[in-house]
Amino acid sequence: MDTAIDIILKFVAITVAFVVVLLVVAYTVLAERRVLGFIQGRLGPNRVGYGGVLQPFADLLKFILKEDIVPDKSTRFIYFLAPVIATMAALMTMIVYPFGPEIRIPFTSISIPLVIAHFDVGLLYVLGITSIGVYGIMLAGWSSNNKYSLMGGLRSSAQMISYELALGLSLIGVIMLAGTLDLAQIVDQQSGWHGARWNIIYQPLGFVVYLIAAIAETNRVPFDLPEAETELVAGFHTEYSAMKFALFFLAEYINMFTVSMLATTLFWGGWNVPIIDLFLDRGSFLFGLISALGFLFKVCVFLFVYIWLRGTLPRFRFDQLMSFGWKILLPLALLNIFITASAIYFFL
Amino acid sequence: MLALLFILFAGMAIGCALAVVAQRNPLYSAISLIGVFVSLACLYVMLAAPFIAAVQVIVYAGAIMVLVVFVIMLLNVEQEERRRNRLKFLVPAAVVLAAVLIAEVAFMLQSVANPTPAVSNIGLTGSIGAQLFTRYLLPFEITSILLLMAIVGAMTLARRGGLLSSEARLVPGAQQLPLSMVDPRATPDDLTLVETDSSEEAARLLGVDPRNTERD
Amino acid sequence: MEPQLSWYLALSAVLFTIGVTGVIIKRNVIAMFMCIELMLNAVNLTFVAFASFFQDVIGQLFVFIVMTVAAAEAAVGLGIIIAIFRNRESLDVDEASILKL
Repeated sequence: MDTAIDIILKFVAITVAFVVVLLVVAYTVLAERRVLGFIQGRLGPNRVGYGGVLQPFADLLKFILKEDIVPDKSTRFIYFLAPVIATMAALMTMIVYPFGPEIRIPFTSISIPLVIAHFDVGLLYVLGITSIGVYGIMLAGWSSNNKYSLMGGLRSSAQMISYELALGLSLIGVIMLAGTLDLAQIVDQQSGWHGARWNIIYQPLGFVVYLIAAIAETNRVPFDLPEAETELVAGFHTEYSAMKFALFFLAEYINMFTVSMLATTLFWGGWNVPIIDLFLDRGSFLFGLISALGFLFKVCVFLFVYIWLRGTLPRFRFDQLMSFGWKILLPLALLNIFITASAIYFFL
Repeated sequence: MLALLFILFAGMAIGCALAVVAQRNPLYSAISLIGVFVSLACLYVMLAAPFIAAVQVIVYAGAIMVLVVFVIMLLNVEQEERRRNRLKFLVPAAVVLAAVLIAEVAFMLQSVANPTPAVSNIGLTGSIGAQLFTRYLLPFEITSILLLMAIVGAMTLARRGGLLSSEARLVPGAQQLPLSMVDPRATPDDLTLVETDSSEEAARLLGVDPRNTERD
Repeated sequence: MEPQLSWYLALSAVLFTIGVTGVIIKRNVIAMFMCIELMLNAVNLTFVAFASFFQDVIGQLFVFIVMTVAAAEAAVGLGIIIAIFRNRESLDVDEASILKL
C-alpha cells in the first residue's frame, strides 16, 4: 500500500485537477458566448471585467443567489439525485488523463507523474463512467413530472446509449495499435518522431467516427435535439433552476472537456509537442511545463471546434439522428476495426 | 486497510441489496441495484480483476440497468400495493428462511481452508485476452451466437403487431400517413393525404385491426 | 488483516439469499427480474474470488460469459415483460394466473 506522503500527494493532485477543470470549463462558457457572438456578427458579453473575463464569476454568483424552485409533484429524492449523478460522472473521468510527462521538481529528486491514477484499464474506465452519466439525464427527465422533460430525457438517453456503441468501437483501432488500454502508455507510444507517430495519421476514419459519436454523446449541436429550446422548451432540465441547473450545465461542459481531452490523448499525441525534445531533455521541469501547456492548447482547439459547430450547423431531427448513429456510424466503426486489423496483420 | 475497504464495500452492497428487496417503488429498486453493481465493481478491483470491474460497470450498470430503467419509465410502473390477506405470511416466512440459509452457509464457511492470495497479474486485460482467444475460444464464439439469438429474439418480440405498432392511434378525419403504408414501393419519405370519416374506415383502408383506434 | 476467501464467500452467500428472498416476496415482474440479476452478481463475486485466491483466470472468464448471458437474458426478458404488459395492463405476477386450474 502507498505511504502517507503518496496519499497526500494524490489529494493535492486531485485538488489541482479539479480547480483546473472548473476554471477551464468556466472560461469555455465565456468563450462560447463570445465566439458564438462573433460568428453571428455581434459581440458577446464584454462588460464584466476587461473584455468579459470576470463574466464566469458573475454567472456563478447569479446561479448561487437565484431562487431554487422545486416542482411540487416531482419525485424529490430522484429530482435532487439526478444533477449529482450527472456531475459526478462527468468529474470522475478526470483522473486517468495524462496531463504531461514526469516532472522532476528542480533542485530535488522527486519526480511526479502528471497523471493522477495509472490504471491498466484506463480507457474502459472512461467508457464505463460515461455510461453512468446517462442516468443523470434519464432520472432528471423522469422526476420532473413534466412531459417535455420526460420526452427530452428519454430521447437524450436513447441517443446517448446508441452513440456509446460507435464511440467504443471507434476506439478499438487505437487500442489495437497501442496494445494497451492505459492512457499514459498510449501517449508514451506516440512520442518521438516529432508528431509522425500520432494516431491521427494511422486512424483518420477512427478519429472522425470518434468525434461525431462524442459530440452526440455530449448532446451538443448538431445532436442537441433533446435540449433544444425551440423543440422541447429546455428538454430534460426544464424544471431545474439555480444551482441544480448550474450542475447540469457544468456537467455538459465538463463532458465536452473530457471528450476533447480524450481526442487529444488518443489521436493527437497527448502532451507531445513536436520540436521541443531536440533541445530539452524529457523529465526536466521546462519540458513538462511546455508539454502540459501544449496539451491544454490542443484541448482548447477541440473546444473551439465544438463552439464553431454550434454556431454553424443546424440540428438533426431525432429519427435522422438515430438512423445516422445505427446505420452509418456503427458500420463505419466496424469497417475501421476491420481495416486496422488487416493492416496490422499484413504490415506489422 | 484492505479489510476496512472490504467492510465498506460489502456494507454498501448488502445495504443496497436490502433496499432492492425492501423498496416498493421499482425505480428506487433499480437505483439501489445500480449501487450494488458499483460496489461489486469496487470489490472486483480489490480482487485483482480490474478488467472485469470495468466490464461490470459498462455492461451491468451502464447498459442492462439503463434498459430496465427505460422499461420502468415507459410502462409507468406504479408502487406495489399491499398484499391481500391470503399471502400475508410470505414476507415473514421468507425472512426467516433467509436467516436459516445464511446460518447454514456461515456454519459451512467455518471449515473453509483460507489460501493466501499472492499479488497477481491474472486480472489484467492482456492475460484475460490471452486465455480467452486461445484456450477458451469455443465458449467465446458460442457466446457471440447467443447474443445474436438474443438480438433476433428481442427484435421479434418488439415488432409484434405488424406494420402499424400499437402506439399509433388513428382518429377520424384526415390522416397524413407515410405512403409506404399503403404502397409497398414507396420510400418512407413520401407522404399521402387520406381523408376518412371515421377511424374504423381508416383502419379498414389500411387493413389494420379496427379495435386499435381511439375515439375522440 | 487481509480479507479472507471466506469473507468474500460469505458476502456472496448473503447477496444470493437476499436475491432469493426478493424473488419470493416481490410481486412486480421487473422487481423479480432485478432480484435475479442480484443472484447472478452474487455468483459472479464467488467466481472472481476463487479466481483471485487460486490464481486461475478461468473464474474471470466465466464471469465474462455470465455477464454476456445476463445481458442477453435482460434484452429478451424485458421484451417479454413489455409484451405481457401490452396484453394484460398489469405487471403483477399474482394476477397472471389464467393458466391455473
